[in-house]
Amino acid sequence: MSTKAIESLSEDTVRRIADERDEPEWLLEARLDALDALETAALPDVIQTPGRRWTDLEALDFEALVDPLNQSDATERTAGDDEVVVLPFTEAFDEYGDVIEANFGSVLDADHNYLTALSVALFTTGTFVYVPEGVDVEDVKVRAEMNSRSLFSQTLVVAEESSSVTILESITSGDGSGERVDGDRYFSNLVEVVAGENANVQFGSLQNLDDDTYTYSLKRGVTDTYAAIDWIESNFGSKLTRSDVETELNGDGSESQIVGTFFGTDDQHFDINARVWHQAEHTTADLVTRGVLDDVARSVYEGVQDVGEDAWNTSSYQRENTLMLSDDAEADASPKLIIHNHDTEASHSATVGQVDAEDLFYLESRTINPRTARNMLVEGFFVPVFEEIAVDEFRDDVEELVVERLQ
Amino acid sequence: MSSQDHLKETNTEERFEFKKEEKSAFKSEKGLTEETVRVISEDKDEPEWMLERRLRALKHFQKMPMPTDWPEAPDLSEVDIDEIIPYIRPDIDVRGGVDDWTELPEEIKDTFDKLGIPEAEKNALSGVGAQYESEIVYQNMQERWEEKGVIFCDMDKAVQEHEELVKEYFMTKAVPPSDNKFAALHGAIWSGGSFVYVPEDTTVDMPIQAYFRMNSEGMGQFEHTLIIAEEGSEVHYIEGCSAPKYSAFNLHSGGVEVFVGEDAHVQYSTVQNWSKNTYNLNTKRAIAEKGGRMEWISGSMGSKATMLYPSTILKGRGASDNHITIAMAGEGQDIDTGAKVYHNAPDTKSTVESKSIAKDGGRTNYRGLVHIADGAENSSTAVECDALMFDNKSTSDTMPYMEINESKVDVAHEATVGKIGDEDIFYLQSRGLDDDDAKQMIVSGFIEPITEELPIEYAVELNRLVELEMEGSLG
Amino acid sequence: MATLEINDLHARVAEEGGERILRGVDLTVNSGEIHALMGPNGSGKSTTAKVIAGHPAYEVTDGEILLHLDEEDVADVDVDLDDDDYHWNLLELEPNERAALGIFLGFQYPAEIEGVTMTNFLRQALNAKADEREELFEGDEADDADDEDDAGYDTSPMEGPADDGEIGVAEFQEILSEKMELLDMDEKFMQRYLNAGFSGGEKKQNEVLQAAMLEPVVAVLDEIDSGLDIDRLQDVSKGINALRDEQGTGILQITHYQRILDYVEPDHVHVMLDGKVAKSGGAELAEQLEADGYDWVREEAFADA
Repeated sequence: MSTKAIESLSEDTVRRIADERDEPEWLLEARLDALDALETAALPDVIQTPGRRWTDLEALDFEALVDPLNQSDATERTAGDDEVVVLPFTEAFDEYGDVIEANFGSVLDADHNYLTALSVALFTTGTFVYVPEGVDVEDVKVRAEMNSRSLFSQTLVVAEESSSVTILESITSGDGSGERVDGDRYFSNLVEVVAGENANVQFGSLQNLDDDTYTYSLKRGVTDTYAAIDWIESNFGSKLTRSDVETELNGDGSESQIVGTFFGTDDQHFDINARVWHQAEHTTADLVTRGVLDDVARSVYEGVQDVGEDAWNTSSYQRENTLMLSDDAEADASPKLIIHNHDTEASHSATVGQVDAEDLFYLESRTINPRTARNMLVEGFFVPVFEEIAVDEFRDDVEELVVERLQ
Repeated sequence: MSSQDHLKETNTEERFEFKKEEKSAFKSEKGLTEETVRVISEDKDEPEWMLERRLRALKHFQKMPMPTDWPEAPDLSEVDIDEIIPYIRPDIDVRGGVDDWTELPEEIKDTFDKLGIPEAEKNALSGVGAQYESEIVYQNMQERWEEKGVIFCDMDKAVQEHEELVKEYFMTKAVPPSDNKFAALHGAIWSGGSFVYVPEDTTVDMPIQAYFRMNSEGMGQFEHTLIIAEEGSEVHYIEGCSAPKYSAFNLHSGGVEVFVGEDAHVQYSTVQNWSKNTYNLNTKRAIAEKGGRMEWISGSMGSKATMLYPSTILKGRGASDNHITIAMAGEGQDIDTGAKVYHNAPDTKSTVESKSIAKDGGRTNYRGLVHIADGAENSSTAVECDALMFDNKSTSDTMPYMEINESKVDVAHEATVGKIGDEDIFYLQSRGLDDDDAKQMIVSGFIEPITEELPIEYAVELNRLVELEMEGSLG
Repeated sequence: MATLEINDLHARVAEEGGERILRGVDLTVNSGEIHALMGPNGSGKSTTAKVIAGHPAYEVTDGEILLHLDEEDVADVDVDLDDDDYHWNLLELEPNERAALGIFLGFQYPAEIEGVTMTNFLRQALNAKADEREELFEGDEADDADDEDDAGYDTSPMEGPADDGEIGVAEFQEILSEKMELLDMDEKFMQRYLNAGFSGGEKKQNEVLQAAMLEPVVAVLDEIDSGLDIDRLQDVSKGINALRDEQGTGILQITHYQRILDYVEPDHVHVMLDGKVAKSGGAELAEQLEADGYDWVREEAFADA
């Protein structure tokens, strides 16, 4: 989409980023290819119905938002175990250059859309997680703080055969370090997960950026035979969030779960997408999203269960529930089934509603004040998704953010 | 129950598949130009304002894009309007339709005899209209309804005889030509169809039926149906459609507008069995006033590709809508259908029940939209879609869209997709049913929760078509 | 008298590398006899039942299943029959053809089929049986029989020809009421969907009802007694005895438990082990199994080998 050409961007910009990071030649090439792709790539698809476009990405002023050479972040990475590698790319090239080269871009094409191309061309932070064969680690944590106008992050997770890993990332807006940034900001986060045979990857992400920030996040994983990828995608912050979490089930017997939560207040806009492609036999997917909207917040949800022609014996489920706390909020949803193989058990459901008046009355009749009663019910609404979150610490963080928003 | 069983014996295929030699009084050239539109209007001796509306619609048509950018949209690349004969006036003496079947030319009468229309009229209908090619050839209604002020006539005739009503409602409020490309096409070259007017507090207790038959190869049928049900009235309109199969494509692009007055109740039932070379691209819309109730029942069995999403705008407080759709796609068919409901007032309710069956490489899609406007409090909507698949050559998609701008609402959507279970088939086989009968029984059972809600005459016809479709491919 | 004759039957799961389950089953059931087939889990009892009925999940690798009929079994067929019409190789036939010849399988886990009422299902099954028999016994000659529908389009969509199929509604209802009374079943059953939402016991009762309606020459009942309380067990047993006493049906009853044999006394008892019939005897064999388990049979069988 040439209309989105950003004047301050040039080959020179990209070369400078690569130079500063002392990157191998192949990565510079990949960045330059991505830069070229900006010429033709389109913005991500958004749902349109007669007379309405559910999210207006066209309105983003990338010229003002993107400041490629002044990116700054403070990121804390802990591996929790010596057997697993958790490093910024810049520190990993020497030892793991081959693994990175073999897997980088293997899950997500840079030219997927305009925003992915922009991200690959310009990323300056992110993490490389490498879990060798048979290794089992539970405590990988990446805590990132965004300290600049724009920040582009790229993460690659490679889990080898029969390994198991739980990764929790969180993103917040920084304050104090460096000068304060006024005005709108842009955060872009691409995550690729390669799950080898019988590997098990749990990837939790918690986004709580400030309300001047526009966020684009695309996470995609690919499974080998018997592999499992479980995503937890929690969105609380940011002015406008476009989040896509996707799994390609390419190995027989592989599985994926995508659990999503969001809580919108003020004029926040969440465009949440969960997609799974069943492309092998005996695969299972479970998509569960719950969100709450208050004030004039708006949510857009698309869930896609795509069952390919060769995906025999598929099981695929999807549930999405939105709770509206305010009359001025809006919830749009489109759960989709695309089924090309009849040997499938698939279902989806979606609901939108408000706090049940009977429940509220019941609690109030037990002397609980209305506000507390409502908050209890909202917390209760999230319980089914909390229960899907196996990592206590992560669940506690999410719960805390829910409670915070209910004050 | 027994009446349904009898009908299994009837050879439905022959009922629809016969062809008649083409005989016409007036046939337009292929294609679509301003000249074509003027010729049609002139042949109908229309008032100037109608010609103007047609020409305006034509302009929209020329500007608008084909609906190809929709996700997983059916393939319409074959639909070249310049290859369509938009207007064929059948060779009959009385414009607007005779009221005695015996006055029709033998081959037209025979057509409708075979379709069972005159017989049905005798037994269970308040009135019947029959369209052959572009115009209504038969139109009749029981006298007692006429006495009560009910109008049921050919749409062309309505333009002449009920000009004020038509001028007010025709493609102005419900389906403007700017709605979509095929609505625009329809607005430019519409011909035939029914006009129904039911006065206040009048209940038409037996259904009115219209039957649309395309006989000629390569023609397009563009009938317009306008139903106005005044306050407190009630009417059930049934439409049936069929055509013999040709190698060239046919196009059906009807327009239906229904106005449901305060506390009125309109039921609109369609059994669509177009031949498998027909593109069926319709726009159907109802507007329901306070307390009004609209019901759409659609069975889509025929056509090569169907794009049909009957819509209801719930405009008045407490208005309600009920959609029942059954779609079945076999080899080479793409049945893309669904429902649209706009809740624009408080206390409005809608339910959508959809059942689809895909087999032998066919594709079904439920594409639906529920919109609840800000302020439409205490509204509720429930959408339920179930799909059954026979094989992995077939495709079954479900694409609902929900836009909820109001918090005091109850919104639910549910969908399932499943296959015909091998164990179920074996169980039935072990009881003596052969493979085909076993599958057919499972399919009947699958749609049963819907058919049991249907008017009996409709359910019977539908079951018969389902059986015909099942026989067609599984033998 | 009809006879189901199973000789040296070998079968495996019908997929690549599928497990061999039956390894030479020999069994003969005559009409009017009650046989009990017992054995530990995994010995091949249910597989034997399914293979007799023609379940597509199993592949027969060796052996044969024959059905011999006599005059009284084909009394309803009014064409001249030759010798072939009395002897059938079931392995060559589809499941529905086997059913039409009089093989009935009572399922351990009957399918639940939504939307199809019991009435509709049973009538269609009865009519299908009649049609299928006509075809089986008359071969191709019967093909023209249903081409009389050409006149169909002269009728309205809301009417139809008066012909109502083979078995009239009234006649059907009469047969049904009679059988249901025998089984002490509530009439309300008939408006429910086939097995959908039935309790375990109701499903089993329903299997016996279907056997009573279809009047098979041999009924194979796979664990018809599991999941039944004592009252239902008695009803079901009454139904099974009636099948034998009133219709002369041969019964092959597969069971784990001695309990049902107190109500349905077997003429013959067979013990299956490792895909074969390891021992056969009279009713007393079942009692011995109840008391001593299967190990002694295994030892005996190995000793013989």
